[in-house]
Amino acid sequence: MNPRKDLITIGSLTDQEINTILDSATAMKDIFTKSVKKVPALKGKSVLTLFYEPSTRTRSSFEVAAHRLSADVTTFTVGTSSVVKGESVHDTIDTLMSMKMDYIIVRHKNSGIPDVIARHCKAAVINAGDGAHAHPSQAFLDAFTIREKYGTVAGRRVVIIGDILHSRVARSTSTILQRLGAQVAYMGPGPLVPLQQHTGIPRFTNWDDVFEWKPDVIYLLRVQNERIDTPFFPAGDYHQAFGVTEERLKVIDDLDLSIMHPGPVNRGVELCDAAMDYRNCLVCNQVENGIAARMSILYHLTPQTQNND
Amino acid sequence: MTKTIIKNATWALSGAKYDLSLSNGEGGTPPVLDGITLTGVESISPAGEMAVPEGAQVIQAEGKLLLPALFDMHAKVEISGKSKRESVNRAGQAATNGGVWGMLVMPTPAFRFDNSPNLDSFHDAVNQRSSAEMFAAGCITVGMEGEQQAPYNTLAARGVRILSDAEHVPGNLLMLHRAMKYAAELGLVFAIRGDVPAITRNTYMHPGTTSYALGLHGTPACAEEIGIETVLRLAADAGAAVHVQTVSTAEGVEIIRRAKAAGRKVTAEVALHHLLFTHEDVGNYDTTYKTLPPLRDRSDCEALLAGVKDGTIDCIVSDHTPCIPFAKKQDFITAPQGMAVLDSYLPALYTHLVKPGKLSWAELVRACSTAPCAIVQPADEDDEPKTAPLMLFDPAAVHTVLAETLACGTANTPFLGTELCGSVTLPLQ
Amino acid sequence: MSKIDSAAINRAIGEWAAHIAGSAAAGSAPLAVIGLISHGDLLARRLVRLLEERGVQAQYGALDISLYRDDFDMKSSKPALRSSYLPFSTDGLRVILVDDVVYTGRTARAALNALFEYGRPAHVELHTLADRGGRELPITPDYSCFVINAPTGDVAVHLQETDGCDEITC
Repeated sequence: MNPRKDLITIGSLTDQEINTILDSATAMKDIFTKSVKKVPALKGKSVLTLFYEPSTRTRSSFEVAAHRLSADVTTFTVGTSSVVKGESVHDTIDTLMSMKMDYIIVRHKNSGIPDVIARHCKAAVINAGDGAHAHPSQAFLDAFTIREKYGTVAGRRVVIIGDILHSRVARSTSTILQRLGAQVAYMGPGPLVPLQQHTGIPRFTNWDDVFEWKPDVIYLLRVQNERIDTPFFPAGDYHQAFGVTEERLKVIDDLDLSIMHPGPVNRGVELCDAAMDYRNCLVCNQVENGIAARMSILYHLTPQTQNND
Repeated sequence: MTKTIIKNATWALSGAKYDLSLSNGEGGTPPVLDGITLTGVESISPAGEMAVPEGAQVIQAEGKLLLPALFDMHAKVEISGKSKRESVNRAGQAATNGGVWGMLVMPTPAFRFDNSPNLDSFHDAVNQRSSAEMFAAGCITVGMEGEQQAPYNTLAARGVRILSDAEHVPGNLLMLHRAMKYAAELGLVFAIRGDVPAITRNTYMHPGTTSYALGLHGTPACAEEIGIETVLRLAADAGAAVHVQTVSTAEGVEIIRRAKAAGRKVTAEVALHHLLFTHEDVGNYDTTYKTLPPLRDRSDCEALLAGVKDGTIDCIVSDHTPCIPFAKKQDFITAPQGMAVLDSYLPALYTHLVKPGKLSWAELVRACSTAPCAIVQPADEDDEPKTAPLMLFDPAAVHTVLAETLACGTANTPFLGTELCGSVTLPLQ
Repeated sequence: MSKIDSAAINRAIGEWAAHIAGSAAAGSAPLAVIGLISHGDLLARRLVRLLEERGVQAQYGALDISLYRDDFDMKSSKPALRSSYLPFSTDGLRVILVDDVVYTGRTARAALNALFEYGRPAHVELHTLADRGGRELPITPDYSCFVINAPTGDVAVHLQETDGCDEITC
């Protein structure tokens, strides 16, 4: 089989590739416990982070992952001026190709941009989030975290709560969990949860239905007000209607459910303060596992930069 | 001058075979067959009955279909980065290749049909460089900016019959209402697409399974339908005639059906691609399938085709829009909308609609030739009406659409690399 | 194509364990047998068991050295990493690295790098089931069960635990 160059969506991977990346993530995590938290796997390789949308967390996570694999990391700062209309992504690609980068990690507000970059350059391109399309590295760290917690993803029931419509996390994470044999449901404000006939995923709009569905994991999405021009829902009562309130936390505790969130958490919106200290809150595990998952992704992709470049 | 005789041609509308002698551009009233004027024909007789005079050139048309050439009332010719003359030349050649004798050209930034010098220079370019006839749709507003009315008297005096701001829908309804009242007196037709820009802003495709998978915001069908209703009501009040452009939804067809039943002055068109393709063809961000309005569901395709067959939708149009390769190579959100299909127009209509039995030749001739001519009323500089010339179509010829054989200058066609049936002979001599 | 069969391999591994036991008696540093994933770890487990039967205590370890390789194949997918198993510090130990086949020497080079991130062993040896020649680095195994002169072509080691039988084909 030809080695995979890019990671754009979960859907494009084979089951074997998904499992290989998850298995290797476990071995990558072992590295963190050694006194030397670094391996020479990507020594001499150059990794570029190209973020058109600000994200300190995802970017740092990728940078730490690259450093632990001994790669050289360059941060390409995209000023707001480059985002203005007329500056084509192709010009940027030409610049990047001249820089002879081996790996490009890209985030962009437009769905489909990483795919365009991947098709036009030899570097391995990793989608670090494009519009409402995909966020595959998040999906891997989520699947890895659930597997670590429960031993296996298959058979688990995960409900993803929030603005599904605009969420690349919901799309990618639901896809990987389903591929690994888990059941996924969506819950959120009505206009923000796509129809089941479009997604094939059960759709709820209140907590009662969520608890009745008997989930193992409650996965809360961040409320992204900045991405919505005309509001889809009144912001004032989100916590009461869709967040994990103190009362709901008690139910979650009684049922021994886990809580996940891709971060950063809006305290008092998606989660009450106490939820962050809840014994089955996996948010910090997700951050740590994010580095291991991203190391594994970097390790398993194969740039074509070596071949007759 | 040598006579030209066509032997054994099959008249597409009836299947009957005829011999024809061409008039070589000499005067005389051409014969009429099934209500269609046989432009350029001197006489016609049943196959085998026409004597061939000494020295006449004979075209053996056994197995070939004879039909009036098509009129495309919705095309753009501008190719970004090319001169106006080259744009006109290429679109004209593409139209001729696709069996189209004349077209209504929508205004675009380089072809701003809102003043007489621009119209004159366009007509000059067409006269000098185009193998197909081209007629200009005048702008509704200056610069297509939706605010200030274009000089309608001036445009009408330059032969403009149709007003359109192309894909732009005037947001100022008061302006549009007044423009309709004024232009109605001049007999001008308003060609407008149904849209509510506030609803469709930052949307990129039909909402459904594909838009969900690709994370692209969906363009709700209701925006188009509200837009159509709005324009129809304004026009009814103003007494103006409306031509609804590129209807894409089933409910849009229904609204027009009701308006026609109520006796409103309305005609409508559907783009060929809205009859053939769906949002699922976008696949993995294939920008070739980015159109305005977006490609919709299979059920919409079916309702649109039913609308064509029962006459609710008067015409099929190409909505020809050349996009340079660079533009379409961009990401889906940034890439421009549109397909360039003129080169393959009649072969595509035949292969995908007539051959599978979805559309008869008679329906095709009505929707693609006679109906659009009746709406646009093409005329020459002396205001004499122009009628469609005849063409021959060989349905047995099969070809693969290749970028290098396209005359239109760009390759943003969904038919690229596919096999199409049929080849066009236009003009006959 | 020639074959070394199960009986010959078992006999050789027995002699191998005897060799290690003999040298262990003379040495003072505690012993660790660390196999290189995959196959080397299986051989190391067998050796540790045989040593135990002879009354020689040896710690068992397994090392996945994929992350230390210098010869990534850009033409094929990389297999999943396996977790190394080294639940002890290698400080002051006599470490025997076990690999199924020694060929270019690059694996052994990578193994040394990987090993030194777990401590500072007193002494490191390289043992192998088959030395097939074709070395590209100045590395020689301290002990080889079989010496096969096959610097080109395929040499494959099959083991009971993963392949159902012990066999070397070359």
